[in-house]
Amino acid sequence: MNEHVIHRVRDLPSAHLLGAGTAMCAGCGGLGALHQVYDVLGEKTVFVNAAGCMTLLANYPFTPFKGSWLYTAMASAPAGAQGVRDALDVLLAQGRLPPAEDLAPVVLTGDGSAYGMGLSATSAAIERGLDFLYLCYDNEGYGNTGQQSSGATPHAARTATSAGGRGHPGFKKDLFAIWAAHAPAYVATVIGAEPLDLARKVETAIGLKGPRLILALAPCPTGWDFEPAALVDVGRLAVNTGIFPLKEYRDGRITHTRIPRPRLPVEAYLSTQGRFAHLFSPRRDDAAIAAIQAQVDRYWQGVA
Amino acid sequence: MYRIRFHGRGGQGMKTASCILGDAFFAEGFEVQDAPRYGAERRGAPIFAYVRADRAAINERGIIARPDLVVVADDTLVTVPAAAVLQGVGARTVLLICSNDDAATWTARLKRDCRVLTLPAPAAPEAGQAQAGVGALCAGAAAALVGVIGRAALERAVAAELAAHGAPVVARNTAQALAAYDALAAHQGLVSAGGAVDAGARAPVDWIDLAAEDAAAAAPDIHATATSLKAATGLWRVMRPVIDHAHCHKCSWICSTLCPDSAIAVDADHAPRIDYDHCKGCLVCVAVCPSHAIRAIPERGAAGAVP
Repeated sequence: MNEHVIHRVRDLPSAHLLGAGTAMCAGCGGLGALHQVYDVLGEKTVFVNAAGCMTLLANYPFTPFKGSWLYTAMASAPAGAQGVRDALDVLLAQGRLPPAEDLAPVVLTGDGSAYGMGLSATSAAIERGLDFLYLCYDNEGYGNTGQQSSGATPHAARTATSAGGRGHPGFKKDLFAIWAAHAPAYVATVIGAEPLDLARKVETAIGLKGPRLILALAPCPTGWDFEPAALVDVGRLAVNTGIFPLKEYRDGRITHTRIPRPRLPVEAYLSTQGRFAHLFSPRRDDAAIAAIQAQVDRYWQGVA
Repeated sequence: MYRIRFHGRGGQGMKTASCILGDAFFAEGFEVQDAPRYGAERRGAPIFAYVRADRAAINERGIIARPDLVVVADDTLVTVPAAAVLQGVGARTVLLICSNDDAATWTARLKRDCRVLTLPAPAAPEAGQAQAGVGALCAGAAAALVGVIGRAALERAVAAELAAHGAPVVARNTAQALAAYDALAAHQGLVSAGGAVDAGARAPVDWIDLAAEDAAAAAPDIHATATSLKAATGLWRVMRPVIDHAHCHKCSWICSTLCPDSAIAVDADHAPRIDYDHCKGCLVCVAVCPSHAIRAIPERGAAGAVP
């Protein structure tokens, strides 16, 4: 199952499974990633959705999905996926579900759940070796309630709960490393702005068994304060400045699927978003920008 | 008690309008409630915010059902049922619409006995530019119409609510609020405070009784697929992307894959087609098309302009 069908952009699916008409914001980076992921996953999936922006996807009586969707509390989506997997396994064992009709449980949460509230349930599910895919749309804050800071909020970003002149005092948690430390089947970072990289990783993930994470950076026009039309530009800059490394973990090894050359200065990315505007105006905060640059440089020194 | 609703689209500043007006009322010695409606507060989606103000303590809660004043920032919302602009609008309600059609046109169109006023509609944004907020304008207009808020209190309220956005934003919005306030000077006090609402006399909601059924039938399960297509999110659009098929290189994937809303499909002949019933007007397609074959035009009056 490790052979890729998707080799080049021409192989990307041209018909889209996910229905339009969702309540997501115009220019939503999470939806942009989800609709690409769904095209590769196919409709034989059960999305187990923790509370978050995407809870509004399936808003009775509307759903954009061609398959199933289940809603759980914010901290318990992986436990919900366990229940779904167990129920399917029981049905399969009893011969009440033909193997061809088996479904794949896919946890769908934002970063609030993935990096914070749901981390305990996630760790336990990985520990049990649950056969599931976890798709996190990471918009670096509690977007659905007005972008309060979360465990994924980057240093210096303005959020509803870090509105001072310096922005968020904390640092973004490394969820990729937290997952990889559990030695699961697969961990990958993706972004909607790089569709081929995304599709190939999702394809790899569905060919494997066990706990698998697809961590999608989800540029958020509403929470990050940029024009919706700039969605893809912001996403590409996150990759090309090295702020968001595209990589995968498999069999104990981490591979970078894109090493940005030349690596653009971080301010090319920061200056596109209102949440970092205080770094540039009314006075340019050279020290803060240099500190962010130094952190990114340190990361890539470790890669080369 | 004054009961005021602001209707607009996400991003137009209706929440800001309610904050500014609430602040101004408070400065004039009123008890105040102001709140945006929690729900689909998405860019371009119909949203509203509301303000209650009274000299006495306010015990009412929730959405305003019988408004004294309704301010509509975007006249295209009036005909959108989901926006519920006209909900509870009665004979003593003042309806202020930001529109290039005049009050007489709206009165004839709506066939309501409410008093209708208009202010010129804000200009459509240039391609690639943000829709300018009109929250301060709406707050300034409302402040004039209630007639109990002074110009100075309004000015201070704008500054207080927008201080975090910096001096240029405060200056721009102050000018906007005061211009609207002055434009409606002739109608100072046109809106009167409504009487108390007696909870006991509240008309019961028009319930439809349903028999208790099995969970299999009564649970909110959705058995059909992709029912979201029934939701016309195309109504959110302020700008409309239009494909110039003569210049389209038929790459067959870029705009369609990068459209976050699955609103662009590719035909068998590799030509992309935009689903205008659902396109929210994010204009990602305009930004990513390498051959610049997609342009943006203002949605207002676009229907006739599309080839």
